[in-house]
Amino acid sequence: MNNATGARLDDRIERSALGDQLAFEQIVTQHQGMVFSMACHFLRDRSLAEELAQEVFLSLHQNLHSIKSPEHLTFWLRKVTSHRCIDQSRRQKLRPTVSLEDVAEPAARASENDLFLSEMLRRVVDTLPEKARMVVILRYQEDLEPTEIARVLDMPLNTVKSHLRRSLSMLRDKLSRTLGEVTL
Amino acid sequence: MSRLDDELRNAFKREQPPADFTARVLERVARQPEPQRSLWQRLAALVEPPKMRWVAIGVTAALLIAIGAAQYSRLANKVVDDTGKLSQAGPPPEEKKAPVNEGEVDAVITHRNSVAVPKKHTLSLKRHQLAAARVEKAPEMKSEAEAAKDKLMLALSIASSALNDAQKAVHDDGPKP
Repeated sequence: MNNATGARLDDRIERSALGDQLAFEQIVTQHQGMVFSMACHFLRDRSLAEELAQEVFLSLHQNLHSIKSPEHLTFWLRKVTSHRCIDQSRRQKLRPTVSLEDVAEPAARASENDLFLSEMLRRVVDTLPEKARMVVILRYQEDLEPTEIARVLDMPLNTVKSHLRRSLSMLRDKLSRTLGEVTL
Repeated sequence: MSRLDDELRNAFKREQPPADFTARVLERVARQPEPQRSLWQRLAALVEPPKMRWVAIGVTAALLIAIGAAQYSRLANKVVDDTGKLSQAGPPPEEKKAPVNEGEVDAVITHRNSVAVPKKHTLSLKRHQLAAARVEKAPEMKSEAEAAKDKLMLALSIASSALNDAQKAVHDDGPKP
């Protein structure tokens, strides 16, 4: 982010905190993809994800005075979204309605249908415990390093690393069984 | 980087919410009651806007000027007062002329020892001693006053530049055509 963009974002945060609706709208537009996608990948339900994302932005509107910089804003949104997703999942017992073993084996090969493979990966990740699932989403959707994930989820770095290791190992097992000769 | 990493990145690409998402968020924000801020937050908010920050600087500068002026005025009055008292006091009261012969001297000493010195005379003497002490201190006080004056002039120049900046900032932040 260059200085001019950073200054503009800083200005938007300041103006939003002072009640400028247009500036707040720009902030929502800029970050809605991130917040909505995190919720959508985690909850696997678009309407629930939309509801949760709206609540995150409402909470942001009430806490704008505590946001110090654009980087802090992104960190704050990721943190609040992650925690709300985990809470929501625990409350509604959304997690696994299907077990890992029940995840359907694909009829087509990965090379034949990438969309199918993506869907399969999402379904396997969906069987992970809440925190491990969020670790995978932050790692692969947001491209965060383990240290950043540890900060967002208030988790020790080694726990994050072990979640990632176990999740990837499980995904490899499942997919190698399913896809056979495809090397992952 | 393994193929699994790439596939996971592909599977967890960002998705966009429905087109009316922002509008719905803003609608919910508009329906929300104004968040209750604590007293401290409200006080802090008073100096948050850039204009108010400059006003706060201006007020502080004005207070510094007032304090400096009061201090300078107090010191100047003290010097004037001391000089006035000194001029009113006049020369120190002269001792009575010494007696001519020894007999008279003895008589005077006996008289001085036996008769108490009048109170009025003592007060006048003390006042004169005080004035003399102040005369001794006058150069010191004058230098103090000069130093205070210099400080005041410096404070005035700083305040002046701060006020100029504040005025400039207010003009710059003002409504644009």
